[in-house]
Amino acid sequence: MSKVFVTGFGAISAIGNSTLEARSSLINGTSGIKKARFFKSNYVNSLLFGEIPLNDEEFINLTNSPKNSGLTRTSLIALAAFQQAITSANLSEEVLSSFTTGFISASTVGGMCYTDELYKDANLHGEASEFVRSYEASDHTFQIASRYNIKGYTDTINTACSSSANAILLGARLIQSGRLDRVIVGGADSLAKYTVNGFNALMILSDEACAPFSTDRKGLNLGEAGAYLVLENEASANKKKKYAEVIGFGNSNDAFHPSATSQDAVGPVLAMQKALQVAGISANAINYINAHGTGTINNDETESTAFATVFENNPPPYNSTKSYTGHTLAASGALEAVFSILSMENNELYPSLNCQAPIHTFPFQPIQSYCKQQPIQYIMSNSFGFGGNCTSLIFSKCM
Amino acid sequence: MYVIDQQAISAQKTHDLSFEKGEYSTYLTSTFPIVEPTYSEFIPLNLLRRMGKAVKMGIAAALPIINRNQQLDGIIVGTANGGLENCIDFLNQIVAYDEGVLTPTNFVQSTPNALAGQLALMTKNTGYNSTHVNGSLSFENALIDAKLFFEASTNITSLLVGSVEEISSYNYHIDLLAGRYKKEIISNDQLIQSNTEGSVCGEGASFFLLSNSPEHAIAEIVDTTQIIHPSTADLTTLMNVFFEKNQLSMDAIDLLLLGKNGDNRLDYWYDDFQQIFPETPAINFKQLTGDYRTISGFATYLGVQILTGKINGAHPAFNTDFPTNCNNILIYNHFDGIRHGFILIKKGTR
Repeated sequence: MSKVFVTGFGAISAIGNSTLEARSSLINGTSGIKKARFFKSNYVNSLLFGEIPLNDEEFINLTNSPKNSGLTRTSLIALAAFQQAITSANLSEEVLSSFTTGFISASTVGGMCYTDELYKDANLHGEASEFVRSYEASDHTFQIASRYNIKGYTDTINTACSSSANAILLGARLIQSGRLDRVIVGGADSLAKYTVNGFNALMILSDEACAPFSTDRKGLNLGEAGAYLVLENEASANKKKKYAEVIGFGNSNDAFHPSATSQDAVGPVLAMQKALQVAGISANAINYINAHGTGTINNDETESTAFATVFENNPPPYNSTKSYTGHTLAASGALEAVFSILSMENNELYPSLNCQAPIHTFPFQPIQSYCKQQPIQYIMSNSFGFGGNCTSLIFSKCM
Repeated sequence: MYVIDQQAISAQKTHDLSFEKGEYSTYLTSTFPIVEPTYSEFIPLNLLRRMGKAVKMGIAAALPIINRNQQLDGIIVGTANGGLENCIDFLNQIVAYDEGVLTPTNFVQSTPNALAGQLALMTKNTGYNSTHVNGSLSFENALIDAKLFFEASTNITSLLVGSVEEISSYNYHIDLLAGRYKKEIISNDQLIQSNTEGSVCGEGASFFLLSNSPEHAIAEIVDTTQIIHPSTADLTTLMNVFFEKNQLSMDAIDLLLLGKNGDNRLDYWYDDFQQIFPETPAINFKQLTGDYRTISGFATYLGVQILTGKINGAHPAFNTDFPTNCNNILIYNHFDGIRHGFILIKKGTR
């Protein structure tokens, strides 16, 4: 069974158009959650968002895409991150088109990010819009696969907020099985009226910057992002820089409620334990956890309970980078994997923002300030979603 | 990877096997909806009221299998679009109330992973759970996801895998605008020969209990592969690679199941594909159900029924001469002539 190496990555989010910019924001504790400039919704006046500071036209230019070609904002965000990832791993056109190169993406809103166009097309109000063939969740995957002439395995996953964590999990398994030599894995979601109104109806959005793991937390902020990792088998990664190895993954369903996690954290605990089991390491070997940490009352309580269970009340340093980017839904698993790898690569831990009063029922709290020279061998990244979908990933530093 | 059990909800009476006994339903409508089972037999009424059609029919296909087979280590669903009717309902609310105070039910029900989540919830299954939403390849993706577990000899030995798609005014309008449906009303038994542009909108749910063990297997799902934007030469290469990998001669295929949908702009793909298997008989299946993204799940169901001898060429839906004793069937389906999926199935031991 081949090992699975991360040989490149790319990300675009509210805290940077590149991973270099993102790292600088993480070091300085600079959040990207603010008033939205481009997103059009009645809620832009009352809520804060993790918006990528580019309008659609700037995105078209950034990704060198044709105009009026049905590319939605989700596809453009995905393209930007995908291009960074393949450049970072130095994948040639020829390699991208090999039958043994795959592409697995994830999105929740997909092409439905243009709610108004969708409304008109779905209700037959006038002529078809430019986006009439672009609304499917998989459209962004398809657009990228077409543009880069990907002929191998393609897939799109939607397990809500754990979607791109599951894309990484599946990619790793495809490489281990020998079906693929390399695979680009990750996800993208754009801000959309659809999701904002959905989360608002569920009453889990905060009108302030989110405060993960703080007693006074009021809910989450929605964000948008794209993030991809390039995974390669040993032969394919030979002589390349190996940023990390994917050594563990666990997927479990909480089987409790369609849009909330259970009090005793059944799904999160199982996902973390399975990941540790696959990795073949004990819980106390983990040096850092990138928490799901949405900032909702429900999630942070459940995740803390899971930490208490899995790590016997003594979890390693953890943070929620959603305090920088907002909750980027399907992109969050891959985005947070990229941030975790930045941590590991640079031996540093980034502060979790806005946790003024750590939840007092647990004897632990998230990272409060930037720490340098922290040796990190093993990291865990958690993602939990609606529908009970829980996934935990473990990465190891490559010697 | 072996099929232990299967169940389909379709425009034919597959839910109670009347179709298998020779009953063939014909339609003269702009869409070919499923024959609805009595949902309340499977779903408590308080849950049923909130559920969209995709979730309902998915559960109606999945639960009988779960009831007949206790062991279940996880749930994997392939659906291009999930619960679209709820989706448009929520969208219409957003517009009608100008983003005012909305109820979340439609939103929660509209997410494509709602079915896999609901199945886990109803069966208290905390095992592996995933939803593939990769357009017309979603079911093929779900199969690969399952197969990887069995190949890796994990402690996962039994998985529920299925596909679902619903007809909603939403997808019907959008696909109509995108030129995917016929302008004229046509009977389903005339669909394949219609020789006009577009196809007819269908829906359905097909579920399978898959196992790593050949014991009690009604069929084997040998492998699946896929390609986007192929040339005809690519298809030949892909098939050569696929058959070599599975150590099977192309001559061993007894029957091709082809996804012809009556769209005269696109059905040539299947004619070209048949050139790769010049001696092999072929049948079409979209006259049964119309076309939808994850119909390869239904094609697999049908293939298994043929392998087990429950359906043969004398069935009024086919009325053609194909071998009564099939050992290997290859399913080929494409969508828009762009995404192409292939599933190879084999006779089981039972």
